[in-house]
Amino acid sequence: MDFLTESLRAALALILTLDAEVVGAVWTSLYTSVAGILLAAAVGIPVGTLIGVGRFTGRRAVLTLLNTLMALPTVVVGLVIYGFLSRQGPLGALGLLFTPVAMIIGQTVLSAPIVANYTVAAVAGADPRIMTTALTLGAGRLRAAWQLLLEVRFGVMAAVVAGFGRVIAEVGVAMMLGGNIRGYTRTMTTAIALETSKGEFAFGLALGLVLMTVALIVNLFLNLLQQR
Amino acid sequence: MDPILALHNLEYRRGDQFTLNIGQLDFQPGRIYLLAGPNGAGKSTLLQLLGLLLPPDRGEIRFAGTVVQGGAHRQRLRRQVTLVEQSPFMFDGTVYDNLAFGLRLRDVRGDLQRHRILSALEKVGLQGFESRQARLLSGGETRRVALARAMVLRPKVLLLDEPTAGLDRDSLPLFESCLAALPGEGVTVIISTHDADQSRRLRGEVLRLEAGRLISPETVESAITYRAVKGSF
Amino acid sequence: MRTVPGAPIQTKGFINREVTKVKKLGILSTLLVLSLILGQSAIAAERLRMSTTTSTENSGLLKVLLPPFEAQAGCKVDVIAVGTGKALKLGEAGDVDVVLVHARKLEDKFVADGFGVNRKDVMYNDFVILGPAADPASVQGAKTAAEALAKIAEKQAPFVSRGDESGTHQKEKELWQAAGVTPKGAWYVEAGQGMGEVIVMATEKQGYTLADRGTYNAFKKAKTNLVIVFDGEKGLFNPYGVIAVNPQKHPHVKYDLALKFIDFITGAEGQKIIADYKVDGDPIFFVYR
Repeated sequence: MDFLTESLRAALALILTLDAEVVGAVWTSLYTSVAGILLAAAVGIPVGTLIGVGRFTGRRAVLTLLNTLMALPTVVVGLVIYGFLSRQGPLGALGLLFTPVAMIIGQTVLSAPIVANYTVAAVAGADPRIMTTALTLGAGRLRAAWQLLLEVRFGVMAAVVAGFGRVIAEVGVAMMLGGNIRGYTRTMTTAIALETSKGEFAFGLALGLVLMTVALIVNLFLNLLQQR
Repeated sequence: MDPILALHNLEYRRGDQFTLNIGQLDFQPGRIYLLAGPNGAGKSTLLQLLGLLLPPDRGEIRFAGTVVQGGAHRQRLRRQVTLVEQSPFMFDGTVYDNLAFGLRLRDVRGDLQRHRILSALEKVGLQGFESRQARLLSGGETRRVALARAMVLRPKVLLLDEPTAGLDRDSLPLFESCLAALPGEGVTVIISTHDADQSRRLRGEVLRLEAGRLISPETVESAITYRAVKGSF
Repeated sequence: MRTVPGAPIQTKGFINREVTKVKKLGILSTLLVLSLILGQSAIAAERLRMSTTTSTENSGLLKVLLPPFEAQAGCKVDVIAVGTGKALKLGEAGDVDVVLVHARKLEDKFVADGFGVNRKDVMYNDFVILGPAADPASVQGAKTAAEALAKIAEKQAPFVSRGDESGTHQKEKELWQAAGVTPKGAWYVEAGQGMGEVIVMATEKQGYTLADRGTYNAFKKAKTNLVIVFDGEKGLFNPYGVIAVNPQKHPHVKYDLALKFIDFITGAEGQKIIADYKVDGDPIFFVYR
């Protein structure tokens, strides 16, 4: 019990004094995850809307594929992208491996299926009269789809929040694609992995506390949305 | 003068329920038509086809003499043909927002937009309702907002699916007088209804639909005889 | 489109405006991502990528060794700390510019296969055998490291191995071979993790393990109660080598910058920093004189 309270005390000290390494890791986590989820939303929401609204052969297969992609372990996603971005891989010439951009790409790939899947649910569960009403009042298909998204916006926002929750808390992709480089690609999660491997529990705990706070805020937000 | 809407050899299959089959049907501009028939006869489906929301499986639809071809063409023409559904959907927002939706699409803004919305609301007896949340209205108020929302767009053809079913007795005269006034503005009105006397009050032509087929277009007088013979409307 | 008299005037206004909004957002995000990627390539000129082992990184040496070099050369050194095997693989793939490891045999193969050039000795430390103070296998009396391990095997005392093809693991395998023992059984655990985790695991089990002195020194204050039960033998020598990735195999690597780095850490200034580096008063690495 002493061990825990001591670590907790040291952790709070690190947070309150805004230890440079802690702040750096938090910042890196935040901006890569935010960039990742924005890109994922840009891809996932339109794709989810198309699948949710459309009726085409193979729709069920596509939905199954989405579900599978959502459940992929982060290390597998990291590994595949690593294969692409490494110098030996097809995109090696871009020199993206071990940069924040690589991590952002990874986060996008991780969260886009989640955003798409939740969007499909929101859109498919929407009142079918939304589209017909918009169309009969003279809207084109694009404008009608936009109105549909507006009407289910809380479901769509929940999709984005869910995707964000997944990427800010994962370590597999960030580690493989970022390389955990100090001051550059070290996120909260990769830092926790490193510090606990060094036995630095106070530091690990400090980051863990910050991460839990972020997760708490994200979940509170999700709850708020679900109640609307 | 071309009929505003004309159906020719139209076929539409609604799953296992029925197949709509209409050889020839013309709608003259500036008239009121009432679509009568038992439930499941295909009235709503016919209205959706006339509203250019569905493509027919076979046959052609003509709007003001031009054959309607393809989704893009239907979309353009929907600016002139509006359908009010049986259970109208209100967009999330105020009554004003709902009426403004179609106007914004047609680039009607500012003072002109405001003027048209307020006068449409007045016509349906909902003056002062523009700031109310559309989703919180009663059933009758919702129907009237839906009517105003369509009327404000001044379509050439206005289709209504059982618009007065369940409307309280006090609101009915105002509603019907709005509909009756539309031909005077050049609007063709097509309503589906179960109300036997409505055709008399609106002075409209009755079309009877049964199991996807037109029985026969009728004038007001023969509708009464028909009712007596068939025992239902 | 044939105009119908009395029809509302169809302007393109609203829908196009909505589409334009979405288009603008799309273009903006694409530009953002592109500029991030291009920006990476632009800053890339000032970053030297080095792969090294987790124990090297965990020793804390690089925190004091790199800044003076970065200041002089006007660049940033990105340190990717992984297992020895992966560190060399990164060099083979050309994903890093320079490699700093401590596995002589693998280093020689790396150079012989043409992946690396200009290998230089940098520093050395040694391996020690750690065990519980009670020393149930009586390792402290052993005369050689191999004998020490043989005693552990005989007693079937818990032993935690790195199990990850690292330099430490290579050394451990050599010793088992010298002892004529194939370690197998519930007492022998292959952790597949870094040195720190392995020391922690051995502490939990109150067992034995082979560790580099540097990591042990960093841990002995607060994170482990294991003691050194055997050390000092020539065979436990742990030399570090630095190798530049071959520019002929990978033309994109920062070869000149890598050479500058190698010159720095093998030169007077770098060597002094290494020799002076202490954790809790104990030196971790030794330089050649």
